[in-house]
Amino acid sequence: MALHHASVTVMDHNGLHARPAGQLVKLVNDSGLLVRIGRAGQELVSANSPLRVMALKAKQSDELVIEIESDDPAAAEALVIAIQLALEESK
Amino acid sequence: MNHLPGTVLSGVGIGLSAVSAEVFRVKARVSSGQTARSGSASEETLALTASISKVALELEQMAAGAETSNAEIFSALSLMIQDPELFAAARVQIEKGWSAGSALFLAVEEFAQLLRGDALLEERAADLKDLATRVSAELNGVGIGMQVPLRGRVVLVGEDFYPTDIAQFGKAVVGVIASKGGPTSHTAILLRSMGIPAVLGCAGAEELVDGQIVLVDPAGDRVLVDSDISSATQSINLVAKSFEPLIPVRANIGSFEDAVRASATAAEGVGLLRTELLYLSQHTVPSIEDQTKSYSEIFAAAPEGPVVVRTIDVSTDKPVPFLSVDPKAALTPGYSLLSDNREFVIGQLKSIERARELTGREIWVMAPMVDSASEAIEFAELARSHGQYKVGVMVETPSLANQVSELKGKVDFVSVGTNDLSQFLFETSRLAPLSPALMSPWQPKLIQLLEKISQAAQAANISTGVCGESASDPVFAIVLAGLGFDSVSAAMSQVAAVRTALSAVTLDQAKDIAQLALGAASAESAKAMVLGALRQS
Repeated sequence: MALHHASVTVMDHNGLHARPAGQLVKLVNDSGLLVRIGRAGQELVSANSPLRVMALKAKQSDELVIEIESDDPAAAEALVIAIQLALEESK
Repeated sequence: MNHLPGTVLSGVGIGLSAVSAEVFRVKARVSSGQTARSGSASEETLALTASISKVALELEQMAAGAETSNAEIFSALSLMIQDPELFAAARVQIEKGWSAGSALFLAVEEFAQLLRGDALLEERAADLKDLATRVSAELNGVGIGMQVPLRGRVVLVGEDFYPTDIAQFGKAVVGVIASKGGPTSHTAILLRSMGIPAVLGCAGAEELVDGQIVLVDPAGDRVLVDSDISSATQSINLVAKSFEPLIPVRANIGSFEDAVRASATAAEGVGLLRTELLYLSQHTVPSIEDQTKSYSEIFAAAPEGPVVVRTIDVSTDKPVPFLSVDPKAALTPGYSLLSDNREFVIGQLKSIERARELTGREIWVMAPMVDSASEAIEFAELARSHGQYKVGVMVETPSLANQVSELKGKVDFVSVGTNDLSQFLFETSRLAPLSPALMSPWQPKLIQLLEKISQAAQAANISTGVCGESASDPVFAIVLAGLGFDSVSAAMSQVAAVRTALSAVTLDQAKDIAQLALGAASAESAKAMVLGALRQS
């Protein structure tokens, strides 16, 4: 399995709270891929755990790194884009 | 001790309309304490899996029965209780010898520790504990349904209400009082959308007794014991008395789509065009041609009137990929975007000028996060050498706020960002959230500084505006007009309401109202005095 790396930025002014964390986990679960997320230089957490994702305490404009296990680069890239969208400011 | 008639209990009001009804107390849930497991580890694990699935299913059903925004809350809760890592942590505890229910509580406690220190996340931890209580009840085969009356009219009183409780409220629940909870809790969001008035975080709620009549008065952030609806805080209803507002009301926008939407409002021009969004998705600096095209499209679509463009602000919101600026560094004293990213700012100024020529619109250009008069003058000179627009700066720091008179003859206008100004004024870091009380624009210290800015600018013949969130508050906009500001710029959704407010009073009335706010001893009394005066006018 190839490892894909990407970075995303938290846009929501409340940070990575329950709603975006839930959306992120849903996307990861739907993709069926193994995904880890966290701060650069720190241990990453499993992105299928909403509690671990919330416990990152990511605030607005924090950058997070994502690591995706997949042999399909297009699928990995699509997931990254979808995750970034989930982190946009809520209306 | 019971509360005497007329006692006032304060808290955080949710909703606008007041309601008076009998108290119905809901008892706090008692957890059963930790117990060792009776069955084998695999039996307990299996039972835990089944009970979590059952609770998750109930949450999904609540989601299906709720409107979209509320459905998202229940879905998020469902994902939380099904968290695989929470389950793994509970399994470890089962292996150690705890019963399934106790193991889940221990696991929840581990995660609650991780979520400590952030108010929003701590509320989610409280939700999680509620879910664990439901799973535990499921495991023990006991019902957890709250005994809520189905008929009559009651005000539910309790320590805290969880989303799962609120989903079970029937028509008989006309109001809610809780000793815990705050304005951003899921509880607050659900109650607001269900139109149930509430006062949360209400100290003294414990002493209310069943059958007592209470007035839930969210507009006054209070509960009145033994009072009827005639004591409720009146919500203000401003009626426009003239066609034109006292001062122009512009709109805040950040994109072409916003410009299109803003032109459908009654906004007179744009008081704040944030330019960060145009650059966020770019990894290299866009060419002058590309930038000119973006600005031209926005200028052409913007509502009639001047368009105030703010050059890029790297310290707020979102980092711009190609400007390798650490948002935290941008907040340190002495930082200047102009000295560090001069070429980029010049490119922006050139593009804005070309778009101005192409569209023939009246354009004003301003720089954000300017800390001193000398920096403001440096920007003004740079801008004037690249375009024929009006030139100004944002006033967002107390130090620049005190140097406005030095800008005489150098800038055409200043625009006050009240959010940042109050953050700096109350000496909190921009990165640490300010307490809601200090964020209030009604702080007398902030209003006094606003008056100082307005007077200094007027004397120096500089036009003044406010584009911070406070300008979106219709009542506060009256104060701003009374302080002498020449325009306000509001969130698009607030343009109509702010216009109405500014058309409901005369300039003399606005000045009197501003004086009331200036003389107040606290934010609460400033707001209360202004609302009182408006009610009589």
